[in-house]
Amino acid sequence: MRVKIEEMGIGQHPSEKVVQVETLEGPEQLIVDKRSIHDRSLDVGFPVGQQNGHFLVELPRETLRGLWRVWIDKQIVVE
Amino acid sequence: MILTDREIRLSIAKGLIIIDPAPDEKAFSSTAVDLTLDEHIAELREGEGGLEQAIDPGHKDFKPEKTLELVSKKLTIPAEGYLLKPDLLVLAWTKEYVNLVPHNRVAARVEGKSSLARFGLGIHVTAPTIHAGFDGHIRLEMVNHGKLPIRLRPNMRICQLIFEQTLGTPEKGYQGQFSGQTAS
Repeated sequence: MRVKIEEMGIGQHPSEKVVQVETLEGPEQLIVDKRSIHDRSLDVGFPVGQQNGHFLVELPRETLRGLWRVWIDKQIVVE
Repeated sequence: MILTDREIRLSIAKGLIIIDPAPDEKAFSSTAVDLTLDEHIAELREGEGGLEQAIDPGHKDFKPEKTLELVSKKLTIPAEGYLLKPDLLVLAWTKEYVNLVPHNRVAARVEGKSSLARFGLGIHVTAPTIHAGFDGHIRLEMVNHGKLPIRLRPNMRICQLIFEQTLGTPEKGYQGQFSGQTAS
């Protein structure tokens, strides 16, 4: 499953980008490898939970706030 | 269970573990693969005399990457190398891109090499876990715990990756009860 992201800037290494994912609790930023980004989306694997039309997904990296799993709205699922 | 060199090679051949550029024969040991140092590093600034500075991770407006930008300086290691002074922390990266495919039952740990550790070089600060599904260049938090500076050079063997088989497939790599559901 892929989720929409917004590219926020470059990381500290040329291979990295800071991206933002809209979660139900607000935006979460994480650093990912550029190769992970396709058409402004990020692969998050299969959802690990579902409730009221929302998905619990595990992001490919820990967010800058220290989270791995976040609830997202299905509207940001692109695939 | 730790993967042996044979199992690591098999996983690489099957595309379940991706290491790019591929490690050469000499990079393997019985239970690990050596990775090398990229030329890009970020040096964390030392405190300035007479000025109190502190990092406040619990602050509501704390932004780790922004803070890192403020307190670090990006450098490219020159051909003659970079002298890592005692007690200095630098962020560094492996030259190799690593991808642990999520549905593969493998996670990894990045660890130092004894040949460098004996001079005081640490390559991570209590964050050695490479989770299943990771992809990217591995970030290293390098500290010289020794008394003498250590010269870092691009492409030097800097760390080793130890692969461990997980018990079961992580939920995100398992096409379970939520499979087939779409956004529509």
